[in-house]
Amino acid sequence: MEKRLLEIKDLHVSYGTVQALWGVSLHVPEGSIVALVGANGAGKSTLLKTVSGMNRPQKGNILFCGKDLTGLDPEEVVNAGIALVPEGRRLFARLTVKENLELGAYTPRARPFVQESMRQVYELFPLLQTRSKQISGSLSGGEQQMLAIARSMMSKPTILMLDEPSLGLSPLIVKMMFELVEELNRKGMTILLVEQNIFQALKISHYAYVIKTGKIVLEGPGEELLSDPEVQNAYLGALE
Amino acid sequence: MKNIKPIGGVVLGALLLGLIPFVSDSEKSYLVYFLFLTFCHIVLTQGWNLVAGYTGQISLGTHAFFALGAYTTAMIWRADLFKWGDYYFDPVTMILSGLVPVAFALAIGIPLLSKLHGDYFALGTLGFGEILKVVCIKGGQFTGGPIGIMLPSSVYTTMKPHYWTALFLALLATGVVYFMTKSRVGLALVAISEDETAASSSGIHILKYKVLAFAISAFLSGMCGSLYAYYLFQVSPEGFLILRWTLYPVLMCVIGGSGTVIGPIVGSLLMTAVFTVASIYLPGIHPIFSGIIIILVMLFMPNGITRLWKKGVQGG
Amino acid sequence: MFDYLNFNLLAQLFINGILFGTMYGLAAIGLSLIFGTMRIIFLSQGAVIILMAYFCYWLFTLFKIDPYLSIPIIGLAAVVLGAGLYQGLFRRAVKMEDKNITLLIAVGLMFLLENLMAVMWTPNPRSISTGYTSSSIPVGGLAISFTRLIGFVMAMLSTAGVTIFLKRTLVGKAVRAASEDIEAARLVGISPHWVNTIAFAIGIGLCGIAGIALSTTYPFDPYFGFIFSLKAMIALALGGLGSVFGALLGGIILGTLESWSSFFISGGWADAVGYGAFLLVLLFKPEGILVRSVKKV
Repeated sequence: MEKRLLEIKDLHVSYGTVQALWGVSLHVPEGSIVALVGANGAGKSTLLKTVSGMNRPQKGNILFCGKDLTGLDPEEVVNAGIALVPEGRRLFARLTVKENLELGAYTPRARPFVQESMRQVYELFPLLQTRSKQISGSLSGGEQQMLAIARSMMSKPTILMLDEPSLGLSPLIVKMMFELVEELNRKGMTILLVEQNIFQALKISHYAYVIKTGKIVLEGPGEELLSDPEVQNAYLGALE
Repeated sequence: MKNIKPIGGVVLGALLLGLIPFVSDSEKSYLVYFLFLTFCHIVLTQGWNLVAGYTGQISLGTHAFFALGAYTTAMIWRADLFKWGDYYFDPVTMILSGLVPVAFALAIGIPLLSKLHGDYFALGTLGFGEILKVVCIKGGQFTGGPIGIMLPSSVYTTMKPHYWTALFLALLATGVVYFMTKSRVGLALVAISEDETAASSSGIHILKYKVLAFAISAFLSGMCGSLYAYYLFQVSPEGFLILRWTLYPVLMCVIGGSGTVIGPIVGSLLMTAVFTVASIYLPGIHPIFSGIIIILVMLFMPNGITRLWKKGVQGG
Repeated sequence: MFDYLNFNLLAQLFINGILFGTMYGLAAIGLSLIFGTMRIIFLSQGAVIILMAYFCYWLFTLFKIDPYLSIPIIGLAAVVLGAGLYQGLFRRAVKMEDKNITLLIAVGLMFLLENLMAVMWTPNPRSISTGYTSSSIPVGGLAISFTRLIGFVMAMLSTAGVTIFLKRTLVGKAVRAASEDIEAARLVGISPHWVNTIAFAIGIGLCGIAGIALSTTYPFDPYFGFIFSLKAMIALALGGLGSVFGALLGGIILGTLESWSSFFISGGWADAVGYGAFLLVLLFKPEGILVRSVKKV
């Protein structure tokens, strides 16, 4: 019986009077890549933000390793082992690469291991090591995405959530990015991936959920969904 | 049919208030003085209300326009500008005293309000007030320097015209705010204060409406300044260009409820009462209260007594 | 000979301006920290500086504590006051979307402090005189006031201290990160209230230093605070937000401008020059004050 690392039960989230999520349930088994795909505005980012504590749900529960994290502050969620690579990277632009990484290990959970984590991150992203003293705002789009992922990894997460990592990146970089996600997973990281780039996301994921206007409308193993006619018509037809 | 009752009530109330100087001796009565001051505060507060409550911009320059109006009146009088000889309480001077601040409001308002960040506006109006103060103090013959311009107080016979003019201006200011909110302009202003980007994309010319509100507010403040000049007979930086004339309206509007029509009236009445009582029993100490009260109100009831602050208080 | 006198005079004015300007600079750094992390325009900064100046004055007058020896006392009191002001007044308001609320709290605080001080200690100007307050150090034909020089040194040391704190310590980096992007900071585990408290504590701590410098160099009264706040903002406008050193530099520029204007024009107009510059910057290049020009990633 696979361990359910992250379990989201019947989540209802509203922004003021506008409801964004209507009873969303999903779970992420340990060691897998789970993708949440859907069109723009379907609620994908809202879900990740709620899990990471930036939003408070009106109803529903978020369980992590069996513990209820619903309603915790973002600082506590990170400390529990859930890291979010936010949409748009959100780096500390005027701080250097190294400083961004240092701050990634800010939590009590991660701080004792900051040197070791930085070494591991540099191994994975040698480019960041060469640029370690550079102001992060001056990096290229792809490099910034690397840094954003690396920063999240500094917090020693048990699960890594990525919000639209391919946004704004060139196709070649996007390809590299998805390869990176797979490699991270091979090394043992559980991943929850939110993406508009449905094709790539479904390709690498073990399991996937399709979300539409705040509700899960379809779910299944990634490969199956790829060949699902509904998915193909609705989403994949729109891509080149 | 529905509108008759409140309008009737307002007319009745105005009439009753207007009769007070006949009932109570206007020269010795504290009630008349108190109401006069309250009406002045209402004018200034409604002016601030229009800009802050309805467009969401915090102006800290009410005192500057108040003073500009006063100085304009004093200068016209002193210079015998129209060669009438008698300038005591004439409407032309008063209106001119309202228009001069409008010119300045347009001059600084247009560039300041066109910036995206609301803080610039607040700081800019503050800076404007300070520059004005320096100009008035250093203005030599023109502005009368630190002592200011003295007006012939021998023309003063009775408080009655002050009282009625103040009542009239207060009704005017309230009426302006009321009609602005009911009109298309008012709806635009509300839309702007709720969500500027949405309003802008609906085609509302943001800058035009913000500047309009600011200009009207300056006009009202200027006329009030003119009235007060007729009351004090001395227009000086120390009497007019002090932050009290900005802070009190802000406080009164915030307590009463900014973004409403009645809020400034409630707030002005309440706080003028509090301050006049305090100045009698706790002289010298009462300015401290204004600071404390603003802090307490912002901490615990930023919505004001009558209604929610327009921009919304979304708890974190 | 006339030339020589002229040069001496100009240099003297210049130096006085720098020394005074560092006080504006300190205030500007505090403002910048508070605004950067919390988007609060802390208009009461000047009033707090005056409050600190009064503390220094009373410590000296009542307890005979030399102003410079009172640095640790006042510094500590200021830092604690800063933390307290944040927790007591601004903590809840910071979360609100309407930034006008914090502005009005700051305005209310300013009014409260000014009038409180005027009532408690009278509006009469105060200044401290000790054995050394009127002495000056001759440097190459110029006379540099001793207290102004010490004030300058205090300001430079404080600025260096704050810069080191922000650049070298983890907490300092967290403060910088929070100023950039508070959401991203939370996502790495930085608690906003902690960072805000620290920013406020440092900001007010700098007020303490500025207050001590002020009390030994210039007569002050309760109402001077408002002007000081405005000047601090002008300094920030001139120097640009985003670097501690820039804020200090802005203060120095303003100080020198004022020093020269007040000699060649006259005291009051010198102020007007400052406000005029402020308005111009606000009108045409507001990025100098409140908006960062670095692109968001």
